[in-house]
Amino acid sequence: MKVSGDCVGCGQCAAYCPFDAIIVFASAFMNEKCTQCGKCIDYCPLGAISEDE
Amino acid sequence: MKAVIIGAGLGGLLTGAKLAGAGYSVEIFEKLPFTGGRFTNLPYKGFKLSTGALHMIPHGSRGPLAQMLREMGANVNIIDSEPMAVIRKENGEIIPFHDFRNELPLTKQAKLVTVLAYSLKFRPTDDITFRGWILKYFDDDFLLKLADSFCGWSLSLQAQDVPAREMLEIINNMYRYKGSGVPAGGCSAVTGALYEIIESKGGKIYTHSCVEKIIVNNDIAQGVIVKGNQIDADIVISDIGHIGTSSLYDCTDKEYLDKIQNLKPSRGIKICLSSDEPLIGHSGVYFTPYAKRVNGINEVTNADPSLAPPGKHLIMAHQAMISDDARKEIDLGLLDIAQLFPYKKYEVLLIQSYSDGWPVNRASSGSDTGNATPIKNLYIVGDGAKGHGGIEVEGVALGVGNLMKEIGIY
Repeated sequence: MKVSGDCVGCGQCAAYCPFDAIIVFASAFMNEKCTQCGKCIDYCPLGAISEDE
Repeated sequence: MKAVIIGAGLGGLLTGAKLAGAGYSVEIFEKLPFTGGRFTNLPYKGFKLSTGALHMIPHGSRGPLAQMLREMGANVNIIDSEPMAVIRKENGEIIPFHDFRNELPLTKQAKLVTVLAYSLKFRPTDDITFRGWILKYFDDDFLLKLADSFCGWSLSLQAQDVPAREMLEIINNMYRYKGSGVPAGGCSAVTGALYEIIESKGGKIYTHSCVEKIIVNNDIAQGVIVKGNQIDADIVISDIGHIGTSSLYDCTDKEYLDKIQNLKPSRGIKICLSSDEPLIGHSGVYFTPYAKRVNGINEVTNADPSLAPPGKHLIMAHQAMISDDARKEIDLGLLDIAQLFPYKKYEVLLIQSYSDGWPVNRASSGSDTGNATPIKNLYIVGDGAKGHGGIEVEGVALGVGNLMKEIGIY
Protein backbone atom coordinates (compact mmCIF):
# COMPACT_ATOMS: atom_id res chain seq x y z
CA MET A 1 0.00 0.00 0.00
CA LYS A 2 1.04 3.58 -0.56
CA VAL A 3 0.72 6.23 2.16
CA SER A 4 0.55 9.83 1.01
CA GLY A 5 1.78 12.96 2.74
CA ASP A 6 -1.78 13.58 3.98
CA CYS A 7 -1.28 10.89 6.67
CA VAL A 8 -1.05 12.50 10.11
CA GLY A 9 -0.45 9.29 12.09
CA CYS A 10 -3.82 8.90 13.84
CA GLY A 11 -3.41 5.11 14.00
CA GLN A 12 -6.87 4.12 12.86
CA CYS A 13 -5.48 1.98 10.02
CA ALA A 14 -3.16 0.13 12.41
CA ALA A 15 -6.00 -0.70 14.80
CA TYR A 16 -8.27 -2.03 12.06
CA CYS A 17 -5.56 -3.90 10.13
CA PRO A 18 -6.47 -7.62 10.40
CA PHE A 19 -2.82 -8.63 9.90
CA ASP A 20 -1.07 -6.34 12.40
CA ALA A 21 0.88 -5.08 9.42
CA ILE A 22 0.90 -1.33 10.10
CA ILE A 23 3.32 0.54 12.32
CA VAL A 24 2.38 4.11 13.19
CA PHE A 25 4.97 6.66 14.23
CA ALA A 26 3.90 10.14 13.10
CA SER A 27 2.82 8.39 9.89
CA ALA A 28 1.71 4.91 8.88
CA PHE A 29 4.15 2.31 7.55
CA MET A 30 3.19 -1.12 6.21
CA ASN A 31 5.46 -4.05 6.99
CA GLU A 32 5.95 -7.40 5.26
CA LYS A 33 2.78 -8.84 6.85
CA CYS A 34 0.63 -6.59 4.60
CA THR A 35 -1.57 -8.64 2.25
CA GLN A 36 -2.87 -5.63 0.31
CA CYS A 37 -6.38 -6.40 1.60
CA GLY A 38 -7.27 -2.71 1.51
CA LYS A 39 -9.14 -2.47 4.80
CA CYS A 40 -6.89 0.43 5.85
CA ILE A 41 -8.05 2.41 2.82
CA ASP A 42 -11.62 2.40 4.17
CA TYR A 43 -10.66 3.43 7.68
CA CYS A 44 -8.29 6.26 6.80
CA PRO A 45 -10.11 9.53 7.55
CA LEU A 46 -7.88 11.43 5.15
CA GLY A 47 -7.96 9.13 2.14
CA ALA A 48 -4.19 8.95 2.50
CA ILE A 49 -3.79 5.25 1.70
CA SER A 50 -4.03 3.77 -1.78
CA GLU A 51 -3.15 0.54 -3.51
CA ASP A 52 0.27 0.16 -5.06
CA GLU A 53 0.27 0.93 -8.76
CA MET B 1 -38.86 19.49 8.32
CA LYS B 2 -35.97 17.54 6.88
CA ALA B 3 -32.40 17.86 8.13
CA VAL B 4 -29.32 16.44 6.47
CA ILE B 5 -26.18 16.21 8.57
CA ILE B 6 -22.72 15.79 7.07
CA GLY B 7 -20.51 13.73 9.36
CA ALA B 8 -21.41 11.47 12.29
CA GLY B 9 -18.86 12.81 14.76
CA LEU B 10 -19.94 14.02 18.18
CA GLY B 11 -21.22 17.35 16.80
CA GLY B 12 -23.23 15.67 14.05
CA LEU B 13 -24.71 13.07 16.41
CA LEU B 14 -25.62 15.62 19.12
CA THR B 15 -27.28 17.77 16.46
CA GLY B 16 -29.04 14.76 14.98
CA ALA B 17 -30.39 13.69 18.38
CA LYS B 18 -31.56 17.24 19.14
CA LEU B 19 -33.29 17.66 15.80
CA ALA B 20 -34.82 14.17 15.81
CA GLY B 21 -36.13 14.96 19.29
CA ALA B 22 -37.68 18.17 17.95
CA GLY B 23 -39.56 16.25 15.28
CA TYR B 24 -37.22 16.72 12.33
CA SER B 25 -36.68 13.94 9.87
CA VAL B 26 -32.92 13.40 10.16
CA GLU B 27 -30.45 11.77 7.79
CA ILE B 28 -26.76 11.65 8.67
CA PHE B 29 -24.07 10.80 6.12
CA GLU B 30 -20.68 9.59 7.32
CA LYS B 31 -17.86 8.83 4.92
CA LEU B 32 -16.02 6.45 7.28
CA PRO B 33 -17.14 2.86 8.03
CA PHE B 34 -18.00 3.82 11.63
CA THR B 35 -19.76 6.62 13.51
CA GLY B 36 -18.41 8.74 16.33
CA GLY B 37 -15.57 10.47 14.45
CA ARG B 38 -12.77 11.40 16.83
CA PHE B 39 -14.93 10.56 19.84
CA THR B 40 -15.35 6.82 19.77
CA ASN B 41 -13.47 3.70 20.78
CA LEU B 42 -10.69 2.18 18.76
CA PRO B 43 -10.35 -1.52 19.55
CA TYR B 44 -6.68 -2.47 19.70
CA LYS B 45 -5.14 -5.67 21.10
CA GLY B 46 -7.94 -6.09 23.62
CA PHE B 47 -7.78 -2.45 24.75
CA LYS B 48 -10.40 0.16 24.07
CA LEU B 49 -8.28 2.98 22.74
CA SER B 50 -9.92 6.04 21.26
CA THR B 51 -10.04 7.41 17.72
CA GLY B 52 -9.22 10.92 18.92
CA ALA B 53 -10.17 12.45 22.24
CA LEU B 54 -9.19 10.77 25.46
CA HIS B 55 -11.86 8.79 27.30
CA MET B 56 -12.72 11.93 29.20
CA ILE B 57 -15.40 14.53 29.57
CA PRO B 58 -13.65 17.72 30.73
CA HIS B 59 -16.37 18.82 33.18
CA GLY B 60 -17.59 15.33 34.04
CA SER B 61 -21.21 14.71 35.00
CA ARG B 62 -21.87 18.42 35.69
CA GLY B 63 -20.69 19.99 32.44
CA PRO B 64 -22.50 21.17 29.31
CA LEU B 65 -22.09 17.87 27.42
CA ALA B 66 -23.38 15.78 30.34
CA GLN B 67 -26.28 18.19 30.76
CA MET B 68 -27.20 17.94 27.08
CA LEU B 69 -26.97 14.13 27.19
CA ARG B 70 -29.26 14.02 30.24
CA GLU B 71 -31.82 16.30 28.58
CA MET B 72 -31.91 13.94 25.60
CA GLY B 73 -32.27 10.90 27.81
CA ALA B 74 -28.94 9.45 26.67
CA ASN B 75 -27.99 6.58 28.89
CA VAL B 76 -24.37 7.43 29.74
CA ASN B 77 -22.72 6.85 33.09
CA ILE B 78 -20.04 9.49 33.66
CA ILE B 79 -17.67 8.61 36.49
CA ASP B 80 -16.39 11.85 38.01
CA SER B 81 -12.69 11.73 38.77
CA GLU B 82 -11.53 11.94 42.36
CA PRO B 83 -9.13 13.62 42.74
CA MET B 84 -10.09 15.87 39.85
CA ALA B 85 -6.45 16.45 39.01
CA VAL B 86 -2.98 16.46 40.54
CA ILE B 87 0.23 18.26 39.70
CA ARG B 88 3.60 16.57 39.60
CA LYS B 89 6.12 19.06 40.94
CA GLU B 90 9.69 19.44 39.71
CA ASN B 91 10.94 17.27 42.60
CA GLY B 92 8.46 14.52 41.75
CA GLU B 93 6.10 15.31 44.62
CA ILE B 94 2.39 15.06 43.76
CA ILE B 95 0.00 17.77 44.99
CA PRO B 96 -3.75 18.21 44.51
CA PHE B 97 -4.46 20.63 41.64
CA HIS B 98 -6.15 23.25 43.80
CA ASP B 99 -3.07 23.48 46.03
CA PHE B 100 -1.06 25.02 43.19
CA ARG B 101 -1.51 28.40 44.90
CA ASN B 102 0.59 27.21 47.83
CA GLU B 103 3.55 26.85 45.49
CA LEU B 104 3.57 30.62 44.93
CA PRO B 105 5.24 33.20 47.18
CA LEU B 106 2.69 34.70 49.63
CA THR B 107 2.53 38.05 47.80
CA LYS B 108 1.64 36.32 44.53
CA GLN B 109 -0.93 34.11 46.29
CA ALA B 110 -2.77 37.20 47.50
CA LYS B 111 -2.45 38.86 44.10
CA LEU B 112 -3.80 35.74 42.35
CA VAL B 113 -7.05 35.98 44.32
CA THR B 114 -7.68 39.61 43.47
CA VAL B 115 -6.42 39.57 39.86
CA LEU B 116 -8.37 36.43 39.05
CA ALA B 117 -11.57 37.74 40.61
CA TYR B 118 -11.17 41.04 38.74
CA SER B 119 -10.33 39.39 35.42
CA LEU B 120 -13.23 36.94 35.65
CA LYS B 121 -15.59 39.88 36.14
CA PHE B 122 -13.95 42.17 33.62
CA ARG B 123 -12.53 39.98 30.87
CA PRO B 124 -9.59 41.40 28.94
CA THR B 125 -10.88 42.98 25.74
CA ASP B 126 -7.53 43.23 24.01
CA ASP B 127 -5.65 40.45 22.27
CA ILE B 128 -3.48 39.54 25.25
CA THR B 129 -2.61 35.84 25.34
CA PHE B 130 -2.90 33.71 28.48
CA ARG B 131 0.89 33.62 28.72
CA GLY B 132 1.01 37.41 28.31
CA TRP B 133 -1.63 37.77 31.03
CA ILE B 134 0.40 35.63 33.47
CA LEU B 135 3.60 37.54 32.66
CA LYS B 136 1.82 40.86 33.13
CA TYR B 137 0.45 40.12 36.58
CA PHE B 138 2.65 37.38 38.08
CA ASP B 139 5.79 36.70 36.04
CA ASP B 140 6.13 33.36 37.78
CA ASP B 141 7.94 30.39 36.23
CA PHE B 142 5.82 27.73 37.95
CA LEU B 143 2.57 29.40 36.86
CA LEU B 144 3.82 29.68 33.28
CA LYS B 145 4.75 25.99 33.23
CA LEU B 146 1.43 25.01 34.80
CA ALA B 147 -0.42 27.14 32.24
CA ASP B 148 1.36 25.38 29.37
CA SER B 149 0.62 22.02 30.96
CA PHE B 150 -3.08 22.86 31.41
CA CYS B 151 -3.50 24.44 27.96
CA GLY B 152 -1.56 21.61 26.32
CA TRP B 153 -3.60 18.94 28.05
CA SER B 154 -7.02 20.45 27.56
CA LEU B 155 -6.64 22.41 24.31
CA SER B 156 -3.48 21.07 22.63
CA LEU B 157 -2.14 24.61 22.64
CA GLN B 158 0.59 26.47 24.45
CA ALA B 159 -0.47 29.30 26.76
CA GLN B 160 1.01 31.75 24.22
CA ASP B 161 -1.54 30.57 21.64
CA VAL B 162 -4.69 30.91 23.75
CA PRO B 163 -6.37 34.30 24.12
CA ALA B 164 -6.55 35.22 27.83
CA ARG B 165 -10.27 35.94 27.57
CA GLU B 166 -10.95 32.41 26.26
CA MET B 167 -8.84 30.89 29.05
CA LEU B 168 -10.62 32.99 31.69
CA GLU B 169 -13.94 31.75 30.29
CA ILE B 170 -12.57 28.21 30.71
CA ILE B 171 -11.41 28.95 34.28
CA ASN B 172 -14.88 30.33 35.00
CA ASN B 173 -16.36 27.06 33.72
CA MET B 174 -13.91 25.13 35.90
CA TYR B 175 -15.38 26.90 38.92
CA ARG B 176 -18.94 26.41 37.67
CA TYR B 177 -18.83 22.80 36.46
CA LYS B 178 -15.75 21.40 38.24
CA GLY B 179 -13.45 18.75 36.91
CA SER B 180 -13.37 15.83 34.63
CA GLY B 181 -15.03 12.46 34.39
CA VAL B 182 -14.66 9.26 32.42
CA PRO B 183 -17.64 7.93 30.45
CA ALA B 184 -18.04 4.28 31.50
CA GLY B 185 -17.30 2.25 28.38
CA GLY B 186 -15.20 5.05 26.86
CA CYS B 187 -15.99 7.67 24.23
CA SER B 188 -18.24 5.29 22.29
CA ALA B 189 -20.61 5.10 25.27
CA VAL B 190 -21.52 8.70 24.45
CA THR B 191 -21.62 8.53 20.66
CA GLY B 192 -23.25 5.08 20.78
CA ALA B 193 -26.04 6.37 23.04
CA LEU B 194 -26.66 9.27 20.64
CA TYR B 195 -26.79 6.85 17.71
CA GLU B 196 -29.49 4.87 19.51
CA ILE B 197 -31.52 8.00 20.28
CA ILE B 198 -31.41 9.12 16.65
CA GLU B 199 -32.47 5.68 15.36
CA SER B 200 -35.20 5.35 18.00
CA LYS B 201 -36.68 8.64 16.78
CA GLY B 202 -36.70 7.49 13.17
CA GLY B 203 -33.46 9.17 12.10
CA LYS B 204 -31.18 7.42 9.64
CA ILE B 205 -27.40 7.20 9.83
CA TYR B 206 -25.46 6.00 6.79
CA THR B 207 -21.78 5.06 6.97
CA HIS B 208 -19.51 4.69 3.91
CA SER B 209 -21.47 7.63 2.54
CA CYS B 210 -19.43 10.62 1.47
CA VAL B 211 -21.31 13.82 0.70
CA GLU B 212 -19.99 15.02 -2.64
CA LYS B 213 -21.77 18.32 -2.90
CA ILE B 214 -24.05 20.68 -1.03
CA ILE B 215 -26.86 21.94 -3.25
CA VAL B 216 -27.13 25.71 -3.00
CA ASN B 217 -29.59 27.89 -4.87
CA ASN B 218 -29.71 31.67 -4.44
CA ASP B 219 -27.48 31.34 -1.37
CA ILE B 220 -29.88 28.91 0.27
CA ALA B 221 -28.87 25.32 1.05
CA GLN B 222 -31.40 22.86 -0.35
CA GLY B 223 -29.83 19.46 0.10
CA VAL B 224 -26.80 17.35 -0.71
CA ILE B 225 -25.53 14.90 -3.30
CA VAL B 226 -24.41 11.52 -1.94
CA LYS B 227 -23.13 8.82 -4.30
CA GLY B 228 -24.76 10.65 -7.16
CA ASN B 229 -28.17 10.82 -5.48
CA GLN B 230 -29.83 14.10 -4.63
CA ILE B 231 -31.19 14.35 -1.09
CA ASP B 232 -33.39 17.40 -0.50
CA ALA B 233 -33.37 19.08 2.88
CA ASP B 234 -34.75 22.14 4.65
CA ILE B 235 -31.57 22.50 6.63
CA VAL B 236 -28.03 21.18 6.10
CA ILE B 237 -25.68 20.91 9.05
CA SER B 238 -22.04 20.06 8.59
CA ASP B 239 -19.76 18.45 11.16
CA ILE B 240 -16.68 18.67 8.94
CA GLY B 241 -15.61 22.23 9.75
CA HIS B 242 -15.95 25.52 7.90
CA ILE B 243 -13.14 24.89 5.42
CA GLY B 244 -14.18 21.35 4.46
CA THR B 245 -17.78 22.48 4.13
CA SER B 246 -16.93 25.49 1.95
CA SER B 247 -15.28 23.15 -0.55
CA LEU B 248 -18.59 21.31 -1.06
CA TYR B 249 -20.28 24.27 -2.74
CA ASP B 250 -19.22 27.25 -4.79
CA CYS B 251 -18.40 29.65 -2.00
CA THR B 252 -17.95 33.20 -3.27
CA ASP B 253 -18.00 35.15 0.00
CA LYS B 254 -14.42 36.48 0.09
CA GLU B 255 -14.68 37.87 3.61
CA TYR B 256 -15.90 34.52 4.98
CA LEU B 257 -13.26 32.57 3.03
CA ASP B 258 -10.49 34.85 4.35
CA LYS B 259 -11.77 34.43 7.88
CA ILE B 260 -11.96 30.63 7.76
CA GLN B 261 -8.62 30.24 5.99
CA ASN B 262 -7.09 31.80 9.09
CA LEU B 263 -8.56 29.15 11.39
CA LYS B 264 -5.63 27.23 12.79
CA PRO B 265 -6.31 23.63 13.78
CA SER B 266 -4.78 22.51 17.06
CA ARG B 267 -2.49 19.51 16.90
CA GLY B 268 -1.43 16.97 19.47
CA ILE B 269 0.06 13.58 20.21
CA LYS B 270 -1.43 10.85 22.35
CA ILE B 271 0.78 8.02 23.60
CA CYS B 272 -1.21 4.99 24.75
CA LEU B 273 0.49 2.78 27.33
CA SER B 274 -0.31 -0.55 28.91
CA SER B 275 0.90 -1.56 32.33
CA ASP B 276 0.28 -4.37 34.83
CA GLU B 277 0.67 -2.04 37.80
CA PRO B 278 -1.00 1.37 37.96
CA LEU B 279 1.35 4.24 37.06
CA ILE B 280 -0.92 6.86 38.60
CA GLY B 281 -3.52 5.08 40.75
CA HIS B 282 -6.56 7.30 40.13
CA SER B 283 -8.52 8.57 37.14
CA GLY B 284 -7.86 12.28 37.68
CA VAL B 285 -5.59 14.23 35.36
CA TYR B 286 -1.89 13.94 36.21
CA PHE B 287 -0.44 17.28 35.10
CA THR B 288 3.27 17.26 34.24
CA PRO B 289 4.37 20.92 34.02
CA TYR B 290 8.05 20.01 34.27
CA ALA B 291 8.10 17.42 31.50
CA LYS B 292 9.62 18.57 28.19
CA ARG B 293 6.59 17.71 26.07
CA VAL B 294 3.99 15.59 27.87
CA ASN B 295 1.35 17.92 29.35
CA GLY B 296 -0.67 15.41 31.31
CA ILE B 297 -1.54 11.76 31.73
CA ASN B 298 -4.74 9.91 32.50
CA GLU B 299 -5.08 6.32 33.71
CA VAL B 300 -8.64 5.65 32.64
CA THR B 301 -8.81 2.04 33.85
CA ASN B 302 -9.04 3.34 37.43
CA ALA B 303 -12.51 4.60 36.49
CA ASP B 304 -13.47 1.76 34.15
CA PRO B 305 -11.31 -1.40 34.18
CA SER B 306 -13.14 -2.72 31.11
CA LEU B 307 -11.16 -0.31 28.92
CA ALA B 308 -8.23 -2.77 29.14
CA PRO B 309 -7.94 -6.57 29.23
CA PRO B 310 -8.20 -8.07 32.75
CA GLY B 311 -5.20 -7.23 34.93
CA LYS B 312 -4.00 -4.44 32.63
CA HIS B 313 -4.11 -0.67 32.94
CA LEU B 314 -4.65 1.74 30.05
CA ILE B 315 -2.73 4.99 30.36
CA MET B 316 -2.94 7.87 27.91
CA ALA B 317 -0.33 10.63 27.83
CA HIS B 318 -1.16 13.74 25.85
CA GLN B 319 1.00 16.53 24.51
CA ALA B 320 0.47 19.53 22.28
CA MET B 321 2.51 19.24 19.09
CA ILE B 322 4.85 22.18 19.42
CA SER B 323 7.04 21.86 16.31
CA ASP B 324 6.32 20.58 12.81
CA ASP B 325 8.62 17.62 13.40
CA ALA B 326 6.15 15.04 14.71
CA ARG B 327 8.82 12.34 15.09
CA LYS B 328 10.98 14.55 17.25
CA GLU B 329 7.93 15.53 19.32
CA ILE B 330 7.06 11.85 19.85
CA ASP B 331 10.65 11.00 20.83
CA LEU B 332 10.61 13.79 23.42
CA GLY B 333 7.25 12.55 24.73
CA LEU B 334 8.56 8.99 25.11
CA LEU B 335 11.62 10.32 26.92
CA ASP B 336 9.35 12.28 29.27
CA ILE B 337 7.38 9.15 30.11
CA ALA B 338 10.57 7.19 30.79
CA GLN B 339 11.72 9.94 33.15
CA LEU B 340 8.34 10.31 34.87
CA PHE B 341 8.07 6.58 35.64
CA PRO B 342 11.68 5.37 35.88
CA TYR B 343 11.00 2.28 37.99
CA LYS B 344 7.74 1.20 36.36
CA LYS B 345 7.22 -1.39 33.68
CA TYR B 346 4.94 -0.37 30.84
CA GLU B 347 4.48 -1.05 27.15
CA VAL B 348 3.79 1.50 24.43
CA LEU B 349 0.60 0.34 22.68
CA LEU B 350 0.02 2.96 20.01
CA ILE B 351 1.21 6.50 19.34
CA GLN B 352 -1.44 8.64 17.67
CA SER B 353 -0.84 12.08 16.26
CA TYR B 354 -3.43 14.60 15.12
CA SER B 355 -2.87 17.59 12.84
CA ASP B 356 -3.86 19.21 9.55
CA GLY B 357 -6.89 17.43 8.04
CA TRP B 358 -7.47 15.23 11.13
CA PRO B 359 -6.51 17.56 13.96
CA VAL B 360 -7.31 17.82 17.65
CA ASN B 361 -9.69 20.72 16.91
CA ARG B 362 -10.47 22.12 13.49
CA ALA B 363 -10.58 25.55 15.10
CA SER B 364 -8.17 25.96 18.00
CA SER B 365 -9.88 27.22 21.16
CA GLY B 366 -10.43 30.95 21.03
CA SER B 367 -10.50 31.04 17.22
CA ASP B 368 -13.95 29.52 16.67
CA THR B 369 -16.10 31.60 14.33
CA GLY B 370 -19.55 30.28 15.19
CA ASN B 371 -22.12 28.10 13.43
CA ALA B 372 -23.23 30.38 10.61
CA THR B 373 -22.05 30.26 7.00
CA PRO B 374 -22.76 32.72 4.16
CA ILE B 375 -25.43 30.25 3.01
CA LYS B 376 -28.89 30.32 4.54
CA ASN B 377 -29.91 27.02 6.17
CA LEU B 378 -26.30 25.76 6.14
CA TYR B 379 -24.61 25.60 9.53
CA ILE B 380 -21.42 24.20 11.03
CA VAL B 381 -21.18 22.19 14.26
CA GLY B 382 -18.39 20.21 15.92
CA ASP B 383 -14.83 21.12 16.78
CA GLY B 384 -14.81 23.72 14.04
CA ALA B 385 -17.64 25.66 15.72
CA LYS B 386 -17.26 25.31 19.47
CA GLY B 387 -18.97 27.53 22.01
CA HIS B 388 -16.77 29.91 24.01
CA GLY B 389 -15.11 28.61 27.15
CA GLY B 390 -15.80 25.00 26.21
CA ILE B 391 -12.88 22.60 26.44
CA GLU B 392 -12.95 20.09 23.57
CA VAL B 393 -16.21 18.09 23.65
CA GLU B 394 -17.75 20.58 26.08
CA GLY B 395 -17.14 23.21 23.41
CA VAL B 396 -18.77 20.92 20.83
CA ALA B 397 -21.86 20.61 23.06
CA LEU B 398 -21.97 24.38 23.68
CA GLY B 399 -21.63 24.99 19.94
CA VAL B 400 -24.54 22.63 19.19
CA GLY B 401 -26.54 24.39 21.94
CA ASN B 402 -25.81 27.76 20.29
CA LEU B 403 -27.08 26.48 16.95
CA MET B 404 -30.24 25.06 18.51
CA LYS B 405 -31.01 28.48 20.04
CA GLU B 406 -30.37 30.13 16.68
CA ILE B 407 -32.85 27.88 14.89
CA GLY B 408 -35.35 28.03 17.74
CA ILE B 409 -35.05 24.55 19.27
CA TYR B 410 -34.79 24.27 23.02
